[in-house]
Amino acid sequence: MSNVHERLRRLLFLVPYVSKNPGVTVEALARALNVSREDLLEELDLLTCVGRPPFNPDDYIDIYVDNDRVYVDLDQRLFAPPRLTAGEAAALAASAELLRPAAGDALQSALQKLERVLPPQVRERYREMYRKIDASAEAPQALGPLTRAILERREVTFGYASPGRPAEPRQVRPYELLSHRGQWYLQGFCHTRQDSRLFRLDRMEDIVITDTPFVLPPDARADVPNPARSRSEDSVRVRFSPVAAPYVKERFGQDARPLADGGVEVLVAGDSERWLTQWVLSFGGEAEVVEPVSARAAVARAARASIGL
Amino acid sequence: MDRTERILDLVALLLDAREPISWAELREHFPSDYGGSDDAAERKFERDKAELVELGFPLTYVQGDDERRDGYIVDRDAYYLPEADLTKEELAVLYAAGSAALASGVFPGRDDLAHALRKIGFFAGQSLPTPRVRMELGAVQEGQVKEVSARLEQLWDACAARKWVEISYASPKHPNATQRRVDPYGLALRRGVWTLVGHCHLRGGLRTFHVHRVRELKVNTARPRTPDFQVPEDFSLDSHVAYFPWQHRFHEPVEVVLRLSGTLASRASGLFPGATLEPMGEGLTLAKLRVSFLDGLARFCLSLGADCVVEGPESARSRLREMAARVANRHADALEGKVTA
Repeated sequence: MSNVHERLRRLLFLVPYVSKNPGVTVEALARALNVSREDLLEELDLLTCVGRPPFNPDDYIDIYVDNDRVYVDLDQRLFAPPRLTAGEAAALAASAELLRPAAGDALQSALQKLERVLPPQVRERYREMYRKIDASAEAPQALGPLTRAILERREVTFGYASPGRPAEPRQVRPYELLSHRGQWYLQGFCHTRQDSRLFRLDRMEDIVITDTPFVLPPDARADVPNPARSRSEDSVRVRFSPVAAPYVKERFGQDARPLADGGVEVLVAGDSERWLTQWVLSFGGEAEVVEPVSARAAVARAARASIGL
Repeated sequence: MDRTERILDLVALLLDAREPISWAELREHFPSDYGGSDDAAERKFERDKAELVELGFPLTYVQGDDERRDGYIVDRDAYYLPEADLTKEELAVLYAAGSAALASGVFPGRDDLAHALRKIGFFAGQSLPTPRVRMELGAVQEGQVKEVSARLEQLWDACAARKWVEISYASPKHPNATQRRVDPYGLALRRGVWTLVGHCHLRGGLRTFHVHRVRELKVNTARPRTPDFQVPEDFSLDSHVAYFPWQHRFHEPVEVVLRLSGTLASRASGLFPGATLEPMGEGLTLAKLRVSFLDGLARFCLSLGADCVVEGPESARSRLREMAARVANRHADALEGKVTA
């Protein structure tokens, strides 16, 4: 898209936005438009030259900054933004698919309402474009109640299952949902463990939203699980065959060290034996733990257990 | 006059007009812009008109009659965004998903999405929900985000305008890059990976491409407003992009039965969506699923551990045993003793 097009879209939103929010601060307006303060001031300058012929004084947009706040006195009929274009609606609808099926009825009805505010002549084009992005992530049902609990700032309880152990009850302040490589996690403060924790949504059962409110800490942010970035003294050395090497290189980049036989080796965090074992097994024999021996033994035990030994 | 300024002037003029505005009037109103030779002026106005239409500005030309003169007119009702009356929940879903997609840095149509979010938030004022959903996509390494984001944006535009693209593509399996011309039919996100599906001229058929593996990409710039191809009516992204490793269409599909026990039994529907599940009591669940890539399933089952057992067919059982034996033998010295599959 050209710069002119982007700029026009921004300006056609800017005037109505100020018209609806008179006295909005320069900072807030810049944030709403995702532009820098300087760029915004330049846009406002340009708008003072915009109007309709015959360009009498009253025919110009009268928009100005006073005491770092923005006002518009004459909007020249730009009091509401244009309707959604086919592309805008399609991108929005496609992104909403990320939360399907967790969003349930709310998503369905939102999309129907969205379609109603499209100009009739672009509806067909919208439907055509919407079909061209398929972002229907495998969103687990648990996303629905958890999103609500986060928004309403209410604690949740659920059973959390670890492999080989029965589900354990947890009470958690839900802070943030994170999708990483297609896996969904909840980050929050766990009362049971008295610490911040990351929970996999597919291991939760019987989620209940309680009436216990909580205050969201401003810096709550989940750390992305990245085994290659959390190396420590307990790191585990894993070697991959030449068959698996290209895929491992693609994921680990420079962190995958080439070997003479065409394979690669990576160092990953060794603090979760369970995760490591699962990960090595998922390569179906193309990966081997080099050290430590304890991790080698864990993988061997798991592989033998799979064939009933 | 600056082009942005002229187009905004046109918007203000046309939104205010009660009568159609003729081309002659427009030339009078903008003498320095639409002056000069007739041809040059008309071409300039045609470009402006195309931009207005692109912005969603409902501009039409009416032929005059006794009542009305010839000229351009705008349907104001079709221009202004009406309130969509979204409920709190609906707004939260759209906003959380849209913001997460934008923040991920890699979502096709990001500019469109950013504008759409602003517009749906227009009537909500201060009551916009704070999104607490984040997405990090797989396969894209930190340094690559910008590049993948730019490719997705180009592909989104090419899909929308139906223009072919020229790509240089290399995969781990075939590391030597090939140049291909592709008609992009659509983009799908599966387990954090964006896939382009389209007609590949080099192979003469439908192919899928992981967007992060596209090295170079050029969109056909000739005749930008004329589509280069049609997407077949019966085309569906879903039937070309696998959700799970066992769904890659490498072989004739077979039905595989899995026996899940322990904690896997209650998680069966999440682990194998779409599978037919039969609870057997006593913490056992049978899962039946169609598999077109046996190795993909075997690797996944192996990673689930001993609580996931392949019941049949025999080909699937033996494949899993072979793999497990291979892993066990590679690590045999840690426990002593070789294993036979």
